[in-house]
Amino acid sequence: MRFMRLAAVAALATVSFTAQAHGPTRQKISESVEIDAPADKVWAVVGNFQDGSWIPVVEKTEGKGGNEPKATRTLTLKGGATVEEELAKYDADKKALMYRINKVDVKTLPVNDYSSNIEVEAEGANKTKVTWRGAFYRGYMNNDPPPDLNDEASKKAVQGLYRAGLDNLKAKVEKGS
Amino acid sequence: MNLIGRMRPVGGRLRAGLLALSRARLPFPLCGGGWAGRQAGSVGTKSRREGNPASGRDAALMQGAAQSCTLAPLSAGLRPDPPASQGTLPRRGGRENARVLLALALLAALPHPARAAEALVTVQGDNAVEVVDLDAAKVVRRIPVSGSPAGIALSPGRDTAYVTRPDLPGLAVIDLRTDTVTQDLKLPGGPLGIGVDPRAGTVYVADWYAARVLVLRPEGGKLVADGEIAVGQSPSGLAVTPDGATLLVANREADSVSVVDIAARREVARVPVGKHPFGLTLDAEGKRAYTANVTGDDVSVIDVPARREVGRVKTGERPYVVALAGGRGFVTDQYGNSVTAFDLATLKSVGTIDVGDHPEGIGAARDGRHLYVANWGSNTLSVIDAGTLKVVREIPTGDGPRAFGDFLR
Repeated sequence: MRFMRLAAVAALATVSFTAQAHGPTRQKISESVEIDAPADKVWAVVGNFQDGSWIPVVEKTEGKGGNEPKATRTLTLKGGATVEEELAKYDADKKALMYRINKVDVKTLPVNDYSSNIEVEAEGANKTKVTWRGAFYRGYMNNDPPPDLNDEASKKAVQGLYRAGLDNLKAKVEKGS
Repeated sequence: MNLIGRMRPVGGRLRAGLLALSRARLPFPLCGGGWAGRQAGSVGTKSRREGNPASGRDAALMQGAAQSCTLAPLSAGLRPDPPASQGTLPRRGGRENARVLLALALLAALPHPARAAEALVTVQGDNAVEVVDLDAAKVVRRIPVSGSPAGIALSPGRDTAYVTRPDLPGLAVIDLRTDTVTQDLKLPGGPLGIGVDPRAGTVYVADWYAARVLVLRPEGGKLVADGEIAVGQSPSGLAVTPDGATLLVANREADSVSVVDIAARREVARVPVGKHPFGLTLDAEGKRAYTANVTGDDVSVIDVPARREVGRVKTGERPYVVALAGGRGFVTDQYGNSVTAFDLATLKSVGTIDVGDHPEGIGAARDGRHLYVANWGSNTLSVIDAGTLKVVREIPTGDGPRAFGDFLR
């Protein structure tokens, strides 16, 4: 019985309520799109961290810190759910940025510990490739996840988000060019 | 008993295992699927965060203890079973000395095995372990291992690999002479961090959903469950000192390192370290240990005999694990896509090396001249020159290389 008691005491003494926990296996998704427009034009849209309107589900972007690392934004989605995000890296020369989600309800996006990279590459004067990559853990952090919060569900949700976002970006930029 | 396994000695490999995986602080079912709290607690990050994991954890422990597991003896491990009564663990003293002498004699008699230096890389997305020929700089063989393999450790003879499979959950024993999985073990909880006693060959597996280390003993070419040892919450990286006397365990959610007396089979001290220690690496002498503190963005340096932290080194973002080579420490920075190098004597940073996306496992080659970094995001191994601190090569791997642990031989 001694071991059990010791373990129980340890748990009481050490539980952290602020840390983000997740399932055991990190997942990744990568999606890309080719846009018939100059890279600068594409970057002007996705490189503005304070405007997430190119992502179809985003209704409103509120934030502070501009495009500097540690800048934050809160995306309000159609339907009212919010996603709190933070810019981690920003390289205007390489046209690349990295951000992460600080807070999201798993009902909105079934992920934990999510980070993401967006890269814009010129493939010609009027052709640009955009790649959106994400790394995250599933919505349910422990063993035996329910179907809506398992690895497959989290990957499907992120993939859907990226696909819709990139396709919309292409339509938006090509229309405006 | 596996005599050969016990003879592995002194001055052996530069690194005892290290290990690990990340976050998770929640209690877990000792045996898959049996935890009542899962149904009751429905889910949801939020409710869990705001709930009281401690009480759930107790319930899980109690319930797990009452269940019959695939690996039955593990639940029995909750009772304090003194090793003396089992007669399976090495005792120090005359017998030990004799063993060391015998081992030295054997080592002198046997030439170093003539095999190419290899990396054994767990490629999680491809459910395999890849064998990388480090001289040829390419993957030469692939061994299928289901369950999203992550952690890895090697037997004292370096001819058997033990691989954790968090999504099974379980462990695979791989015979590296034939590249075959010789044993499939189901394990309870979340097996991730893994380390091997370089003398006795005992395998320790951290259950990061709980607060315990599972003990597996080699016997007749197989691993046999041999109870468990209570440590801090969410144990991740672990390593055994070269003398086989002490097991060190990084407790991720407890911000501490458990010092376990192997002969007594219990935690005898708990060393406070930085925030969320994940990987744990011992030096060749077993005098100092280094933890990568994931959310503290630093490394804790522990004086092992003194059982206390003696220094702190700043790293890049989200450090994962440390490797040692040429008087320097090398830390993978998961979010920084870099490796931070620091001087082991001054504990000052000596440089930052850009590597691939989400670098995780890192290890030093036998000759100490190169380091190998598994880039989970970019599916490559970066090869770093330990002297010039430059990346000299990129080796393509399968999807999601992690290589958490002792993966070079």
